[in-house]
Amino acid sequence: MIIDWYTVIFQIINFLILVFLLRYFLYGPIVRAMDRREQKIVQREEEAAARKQEAEKEAQAYRRKKEELQQQEEEIWEKAYATAEEEKRELLDEARREVDETKHRWEDAFNREKETFIFELRRRIGQQACSIARRCLQDLADSHLEALVWDLFLKKIDKLSEDGQSALQEGLAKDEHKLVLRSAFEAPDEKLEQLKLKLQEILPDFKEDLTLAAKTDPSLVCGLEVDAGGYRIAWSVGSYLEDIEEQILKELEQTAHMEHAEEVSDRGKTGN
Amino acid sequence: MTINPDEIILFERGWFAINITIFFTWLVMFLLTLGSWLVTRKLTSKGELSRWQNLLEVLINGINDQIREVSRQEPGPYLPFVGTLFIFIAISNVLAIVPGYTPPTSSLSTTAALAICVFIAVPVFGIIHQGVLNYLKKYLQPTIFMLPFNIIGELSRTLALAVRLYGNMMSGTIIVAILLTIIPLIFPVVMQALGLLTGLIQAYIFAVLAMVYIASASKAHQQTKEKGEI
Repeated sequence: MIIDWYTVIFQIINFLILVFLLRYFLYGPIVRAMDRREQKIVQREEEAAARKQEAEKEAQAYRRKKEELQQQEEEIWEKAYATAEEEKRELLDEARREVDETKHRWEDAFNREKETFIFELRRRIGQQACSIARRCLQDLADSHLEALVWDLFLKKIDKLSEDGQSALQEGLAKDEHKLVLRSAFEAPDEKLEQLKLKLQEILPDFKEDLTLAAKTDPSLVCGLEVDAGGYRIAWSVGSYLEDIEEQILKELEQTAHMEHAEEVSDRGKTGN
Repeated sequence: MTINPDEIILFERGWFAINITIFFTWLVMFLLTLGSWLVTRKLTSKGELSRWQNLLEVLINGINDQIREVSRQEPGPYLPFVGTLFIFIAISNVLAIVPGYTPPTSSLSTTAALAICVFIAVPVFGIIHQGVLNYLKKYLQPTIFMLPFNIIGELSRTLALAVRLYGNMMSGTIIVAILLTIIPLIFPVVMQALGLLTGLIQAYIFAVLAMVYIASASKAHQQTKEKGEI
């Protein structure tokens, strides 16, 4: 018999012991270690997945933030461009305005200068015209003209109004009954007498102590003037000429004013 | 030249005797236990693995995969039994390359003992899974007349298990012995290498067949459970 039952029983026991030994020393620990590792790997994978998700979330957040920042940057740039443009426009406008103002000021100054010059020129022309007339009359003046002037002057004293007479009296009373006669030419004695008599006629109160002093004054332009303590009775071409000159100057001023007003209104129209 | 290593007695006192089959079985057991203890006392589950731990993990994973493939069940409860069958037989056979060593599996007593273990384990796992009645009902399938055939099948496959392993291992040893007398050089080395291969294949066949028997005993239950779930 090949089978030895004694050995068989022994081997069965041996095998069972081996099963338990290996179960205790081999399978248990190894399987446990593998399970643990597997769990750890799963755990690590889960952790990694969670972290990846987190990282992705963060990355997305960063991306969003970056986009926002870019947008903000663009907006800021646009705003800056707009502001710069505005500034530029304003500066240009201001510069233009200033240039216009300067130009207007300059034009105004120029116009004023021109007006002043023209006015002065006209005034001079007027004065010159008058002085020419005066010189002409002076040159023309002779005894005949003189006699005519005396006649006119005496007639004027004759026609002196009462107010004039009283004023003359007051003037004489103030100046110790002194009368001053100013004439453009040497006054002839005979005319002086006539004047004295005339004055005595209209001033009966001063018949005795009326003194008459004669002086020559070429600026009177073939005229005569009696001065009694500030009150004057006069006739001369000079006074006429002065009147005319005054008239001319008044006229000139008026035209200058009108021209200026016209210019201002014209500028207002073109300015708009 | 003996065909039966059980007859070589190393130690004897009264009825208690230690033959070389038992002795080498103990040696293999000692080596396996020592090796397992050395490796598993410093297991790690993180960082780098020691190469021995890696080897054992590969081995156990392989066994687990095989069990899963054959039984279509989780290998947990079967691993210690089936795994030990495989490892014990494989190591016993592989050590045959060591001069002076006689593999315990070349004794019919050892293979018979292992076959008897399987013979007992099949109903044990079957009953654990399905209960006594359900398990016993299987012998009456498909009809009651099949009962004797079922029992004969059970016994004959146990016998086949024992004799297959014994025959292969014994023949390997004997062939080497015979060849040594005819062609003493080189050729026996090739036969030795072939013997190593045969030894591993036999270990695999034995373990897988054991698993198939056990699975077939607990499968009926699994199927009814699945049907119930459907």
